[in-house]
Amino acid sequence: MSRSIGIRTSATSVKLGLFGSLVPLLLVGVGCASQHMPPPALTEAREEFLRAKNGLAMQLDPTDVHEADLALQKAEQAFRDEPDDPSTMDLAVVADRRALLAESQAAGLHSQQEALAAKQQGATMTAEQLQNARGQLGQTQQALGQTQMQLQEQQAASAAQAQQLADMQVKLKDARDTIAKIAAVKDDDRGMVITLQGEVLFKTAKWDLKAGAMAKLDQIASVLKGKEQPIVVYGFTDNVGAIDMNMDLSQKRATAVRDYLVSKGIPQDLIGSEGKGPADPISDNNSIEGRASNRRVELVVKPKTR
Amino acid sequence: MKSYILPVTLAVGGFVAACTSNVPPPNDQWSAAQVAVGRAQAGGAPAVPDAKLHLQLAQEDLQKAKALIGSDNRRAGTLIVLASTEAQLASTLAQAAQAGDEAQQARESLQKRGAQ
Repeated sequence: MSRSIGIRTSATSVKLGLFGSLVPLLLVGVGCASQHMPPPALTEAREEFLRAKNGLAMQLDPTDVHEADLALQKAEQAFRDEPDDPSTMDLAVVADRRALLAESQAAGLHSQQEALAAKQQGATMTAEQLQNARGQLGQTQQALGQTQMQLQEQQAASAAQAQQLADMQVKLKDARDTIAKIAAVKDDDRGMVITLQGEVLFKTAKWDLKAGAMAKLDQIASVLKGKEQPIVVYGFTDNVGAIDMNMDLSQKRATAVRDYLVSKGIPQDLIGSEGKGPADPISDNNSIEGRASNRRVELVVKPKTR
Repeated sequence: MKSYILPVTLAVGGFVAACTSNVPPPNDQWSAAQVAVGRAQAGGAPAVPDAKLHLQLAQEDLQKAKALIGSDNRRAGTLIVLASTEAQLASTLAQAAQAGDEAQQARESLQKRGAQ
């Protein structure tokens, strides 16, 4: 804008200069006013007007450009009519200022447009961020929903397992109660132990099952069948007689019981048999009653391993 | 004698009238221009160097015009037009500077956000 200062100072100097040049001009010829050189102020005004007309001002502020045009025309007219009049200089500067005004008005409008565009862009960015945040929120909610669903499924599954366990425990108790009616049942560190008296199952020194024994074993088999618990059948004798014979007898009796239970549906890979002979007596072998209770078969039902 | 007194009187009177009372004193225009100067002052022109310069020029022109009112109304009139135009330019320059500052701030704000 230092240019405008230059215009103004040059306009002043032109005014002074014109007074100086007025005398020789008058001497050359009063009738030659049309041969006056246009004063720098007017030249500047013309150039400034062209800048306004060809620049941003014409696009953004045509009204002020038009005003500048009118002011320039007025200055040109004054220059033609009275080139040496001080008012002519004033009007030239006015024309220059009008053009400058149009240009600065346009510059201000342009800045306003820029500010608006930047703010709109900022608003667009905010909208995009909001959109992204919404998208993320939606995803999080979806994931949360899935997690809740999985949790519910897991809870349902564990509830079902708990129910199964409770059912099994009830069945186990039922089974135990059923067996307890026909045989002695106890628990030790090997598992549930069902003890059957030898006299109930076998005749003396024999290993083929009595008819009554089969009825009892049928009941036991029906209870244990399907439990899928490993079973070991142990045969025991009293301490009367040779040990080899007792070992052999107890093995044969245990095997007989095992085979019968297999024939009644106990899976054979889950049930084993072992003769223990006079080992592990549960009563005193010195009394008849004691020896009778030592002659026995034990079914050890182990806890389910699978 | 009487035959040329009247035309001469008319001619002289017409000449005098043309020179002195052809342009009335532009008092109203002067007041209006002073209002424009006041508006530029209030509109922030003193704070913007370019605007301040044109404001000062407007005030100087107003003073010159005031001194000429009565003796040279025609010149006083063009000086008043010039003063008014200078004042308007000062206002416009001040507004443009403010708009430029706002645009700058908006751009910087946007760049900061873009960098985040």
